[in-house]
Amino acid sequence: MAKKLQKILLLGLFFIIFSQNDALAVQVHGPPEGFLVHIMGHVFFTAALIFLIYILHKYPIDNFKAWKYFKISIFFWLIWNLDTFMVHILSVRLPQKAIVKGPHLVYLKLVGPFDFERLLYYFGKFDHFLCVPAMVCLAISLKHFCKKVEKDMDSIGSDVGSF
Amino acid sequence: MNYLPLFPVYVVDFIGALLMVIFSLIAFKYAKRLTELQPKSVLWTYMFWFCMALVALAVSRGVGHSVRFVLLYFGYPHIWKSIAPISGGLNTITFTSVAVLTFYYSNVRAVIERVRSDADALYHANIQLQKAQEALKKLNQNLEQMVEERTRELRESEKKFRGLFEGSKDLIFFCNGDHIIEDINPSGVELLGFEKKEDIIGRPFKDFFKDEEHWKDLNEEVNKKGHATDFETKLVRKDGSIIYVILTISVMRDEFGRVKGCEGIGKDITKMKQVTESLIQSEKMASVGQLAAGVAHEINTPLGIILGYAQLLEEDFEDNKDAYESLKIIEKQANICKRIVADLLKFSRSSSDDITTELDINECINDVLAVTEHSLNMDRIYVNKNLSRDIPHIKGSKEKLRQVIINILNNAHHAIGNEGIIGIWTEYDKEKDEIKVIIGDTGEGIPPEIQHKIFDPFFTTKSVGKGTGLGLSVSFGIIKDHGGYIEAQSPPKEKRFVDAGMETVMIIHLPVNRENDEKRNDS
Repeated sequence: MAKKLQKILLLGLFFIIFSQNDALAVQVHGPPEGFLVHIMGHVFFTAALIFLIYILHKYPIDNFKAWKYFKISIFFWLIWNLDTFMVHILSVRLPQKAIVKGPHLVYLKLVGPFDFERLLYYFGKFDHFLCVPAMVCLAISLKHFCKKVEKDMDSIGSDVGSF
Repeated sequence: MNYLPLFPVYVVDFIGALLMVIFSLIAFKYAKRLTELQPKSVLWTYMFWFCMALVALAVSRGVGHSVRFVLLYFGYPHIWKSIAPISGGLNTITFTSVAVLTFYYSNVRAVIERVRSDADALYHANIQLQKAQEALKKLNQNLEQMVEERTRELRESEKKFRGLFEGSKDLIFFCNGDHIIEDINPSGVELLGFEKKEDIIGRPFKDFFKDEEHWKDLNEEVNKKGHATDFETKLVRKDGSIIYVILTISVMRDEFGRVKGCEGIGKDITKMKQVTESLIQSEKMASVGQLAAGVAHEINTPLGIILGYAQLLEEDFEDNKDAYESLKIIEKQANICKRIVADLLKFSRSSSDDITTELDINECINDVLAVTEHSLNMDRIYVNKNLSRDIPHIKGSKEKLRQVIINILNNAHHAIGNEGIIGIWTEYDKEKDEIKVIIGDTGEGIPPEIQHKIFDPFFTTKSVGKGTGLGLSVSFGIIKDHGGYIEAQSPPKEKRFVDAGMETVMIIHLPVNRENDEKRNDS
């Protein structure tokens, strides 16, 4: 299953790359390319995280605290990734007049009408509420791994387990 | 409210970016620590690079967002516009790296998992192999110990049975399927008159049988039952002499139940047989003696009357010559009858009243020879005397012993006929404390079929009228009264007598101290 998923993703990537009309061996890349690459990076990252979740689900590891935090972290990273992906898409769709610039950063505002998409865009911009907990959980997870490994090495020197 | 301020978004971005940098560095620190603790762990390597990429993402994003916040805050949006693609590009690279690492790790993990699985299998196989080796080693040691123990037991058993085989006084032998002797113990070799067993091994067992019928019967019984018990037969020794044996034979089989030979034990019963025959003879003598005594007693009275009246009538018919001659014949024959009756009574009456006189046996022999030698010489029979000077005196009846010697000399004379030698030996056996008088002759010898009858009363080989058949019977009785016995050997067993030309020897055994002998017999 994992291999099949990998193949589909690689095929998709291959399609995306080679379906560009102006794709030549050596060429000057236009402005949308950076955005597209960034979006593809998010897709790739999302796919990797889904794959990781799948692996963790397929090969369940003991209910050790470090692994729990690791799984939470992966989950937050996935949500964050989807959020940023969504915000990137919405920002493209957002009309220029929706953001009113002022003389100062303080005066920057998003103007209405506030339909669902615009509200989603606004709250989606607070992505640090997702990525910071993800990083915190990862740090906590690694801290527990460290403790466990040190403890085990003091006693029998065995492995923590693997996945 | 028809607008939402974006300032909170930027503030959260700014603070969040800083927190991201801080926590990513903390996470990186732990990941690094883990790789230091277990540098070979793929998981920690993955975590390390995962965190590394996230630190890069956090720093790139954090710095980017902070710079954007500052630049926008201080009114330099155009600068941010030129930096923004770099920040975005870095961000793309970082989370793409995380994605690549994740996919890569998964594959490496699968490979490692497979390798580990193989290694585990190999490890377990190795453990199993070690266990098997240990078990094999233990088994080997046990086997060696068992073999050693079994060998020791076998050696002891072999020693035990070898001792039994070598030390047994009975004949023990083993034959193969063709009845060829394969092994025989020293007693068996001695019993059959050989010097070493190699002379017997390889010979058919049948060759040692005196009677072929016995061999057939034995063979039939063994084939039928698988064994034969207490089979009495006669075996022929190397020198041709016969021995009586009781054989017990069992068939030996191999692991498939096929007959591979036989094993047997033989007991020499020759002496027992002789003793038994002697006992039978004694019993027979005793019975005949009683019968003879009864008959003699009954005949004695009418015979006395016949003799008395014959003598009275002789006086009356002195003038009648014919009648007188007839009465003289009656008197003569009646006297012969009286002598026979007297002999019978001598044979039957066991009396020791007059056998207490101390005498020299050589003197007795010389006395007899003084009377008989002349008549022997007439028939060119010469007496060869070998009388030992160192023989003790014995107690007995001189007259009766003279009679025994006369009887035996008469028989020798009869056996030789004309021209021959009579040998007389006397000797003292210190071990048995007895005197032996051996009288031999160069006559025809006694045929084996009558040897057991020679001491029977009225048994004679002489023609009618020449012998009564009581001589040896009476002699037997007299010697028995003296505590001894007479033995007849024809041919003689001892080489010296054979070398002297003797065909028959009569050996008289007389105990020197009869009281001791009697006590010994009683006990």
